[in-house]
Order: sequence, then C-alpha cells, then structure tokens
Amino acid sequence: MAKTPSPDVSPPVDEKRASFEREALVHLDVLYRVALRLSGNPSDADDLVQETMLKAYRAWDQYEKGTNAKAWLLTILRHAFINEYRRRTRHPETVNLDKIEPYAVFPDVQDEDPQGAFFDRIVDDEVLRAIDQLPVAFRETLVLSDVEGMSYQEIAGILEIPVGTVKSRLFRARQQLQGKLYEYAVEMGYIKGSPA
Amino acid sequence: MNCRECVEHLYEFLDRELTPELEREIRDHLEDCPPCGEQYDFEELFLKFLRARCRTQGAPMELKKRVLRELFGE
Repeated sequence: MAKTPSPDVSPPVDEKRASFEREALVHLDVLYRVALRLSGNPSDADDLVQETMLKAYRAWDQYEKGTNAKAWLLTILRHAFINEYRRRTRHPETVNLDKIEPYAVFPDVQDEDPQGAFFDRIVDDEVLRAIDQLPVAFRETLVLSDVEGMSYQEIAGILEIPVGTVKSRLFRARQQLQGKLYEYAVEMGYIKGSPA
Repeated sequence: MNCRECVEHLYEFLDRELTPELEREIRDHLEDCPPCGEQYDFEELFLKFLRARCRTQGAPMELKKRVLRELFGE
C-alpha cells in the first residue's frame, strides 16, 4: 500500500536549520576573516557576512549537502563583495598586476638572518595592515590560501580563474607581502638589511 | 633540477600542489643543495608565521547573535 504522501514536500524547517548550523554556520569565523580583509573594515565585514548567510540560507536547498560548504559560502561572499564594491566605486582598483615587479626577500637576508627571526617581532596588526595594502586580486588569493588553507583548485573555483593564475598570483602576493614586512622590519630596526 | 627551477617551484612544493615526480625531484635537490634548503626553511617559516598572525581573529559574538536573529528570528 502506498504511503500517505507528506503534506509538505520540502524538508521540515528544523532539519534545514540543523543542517545549516552543522555545515554553514561553523564557517562564520572564516567568512568574517575573509570579509574583513576584502572590505577593510569591521562594519562592512559584518554586513557582508550577514548578507552571505541570508543568501546561503535561502539557497540552501541548492547546495549539495556534504560537499564543500566553505568554498560554496566563500563564493557567495565574494559575489556579494564584488556587487557592493562595484556599486560604491565608480573607479574600481586599476592596478596592472603584471607591472608589479617580483621581489625576493631571501637573498637580502640570507647572510644576516637566514632563519627569518625578524618575522617573529612583527605583530598581528602590522601583518594585517601589510596584507590590506596588497592589490585586491593578490589579497584575496593570499588570504584564501595562506590564512584559510584552501587548495589551488578550491581557490580557482571561488575566484573563477584558472589554477595557473592562482599559482602566479600567490607567488607574487607572497613576495610582495614579504617585501613590505621586510621594509617594515628594517625601518623598525628588527634587522639591519642590505643597503638599498 | 637546478636551483632556479627549484626556487620557482618552492611554493607549490610547500603547498603540496606538485605531481609526485616533481615533488621527488625537488626533495632530492633540497637534500643536496644547502642554499636552496635554507630558502626552503625560510619560506616555510614565513608561511607558518603568516597563518599564526592572521588566524587569531574570529567573528565577533555580536555578529553571531545578529546572524542567528536574522536567520531564525532569535
């Protein structure tokens, strides 16, 4: 005998909520850190995370449970950021990434501090400030990889760029960041540095 | 594998994004070449430092509450 059809075909609200809490809300810290680096201030980061979570909850039926919720949420967050950013700025950042010269710090510190001990003296805020000075394309790649530990493939999916581009952006983002932190360390006297 | 090639692939090696063959070539080179080995140590330390410095912050409690309120009316 056929079962009596359930009066409501969509999953019960409690079930939706439970799976959302289990798979999505656990990534709130990641979303906030990425939002903060993208937007540059806590109030915009709050709004961005809020918007992301609302959109994600509304679209939760479209997400294939148990796949990669973190990447899915970050894609939503990034789209929200781009829309907001484009709306607000008439002249979005126009940095020619290819014109940024690669710069390796290691040869400069090889003799004086090959272990990179000077890094240890640089505090959190200073590192975050240096990251925020990177062009957005470098910044988002570096944060997803080096702060949140995502793979090249995952980053390529979120940023909608080829894996080769992830690789080259990451390489140059790390070098540029190292260069900034090195300059700062020289300025602060944490390391003598080689004369310019 | 020469030093230039090794340094070029160093980040991919650290990120464990290389094919097993290339990974082996880099590993062999690093064992035989002290300067590249030093650079490997330096870059590895830099990445650990970066992660440690940037992950201390999480979403503020107020935001967590706000999200729950918006989503579930709590």
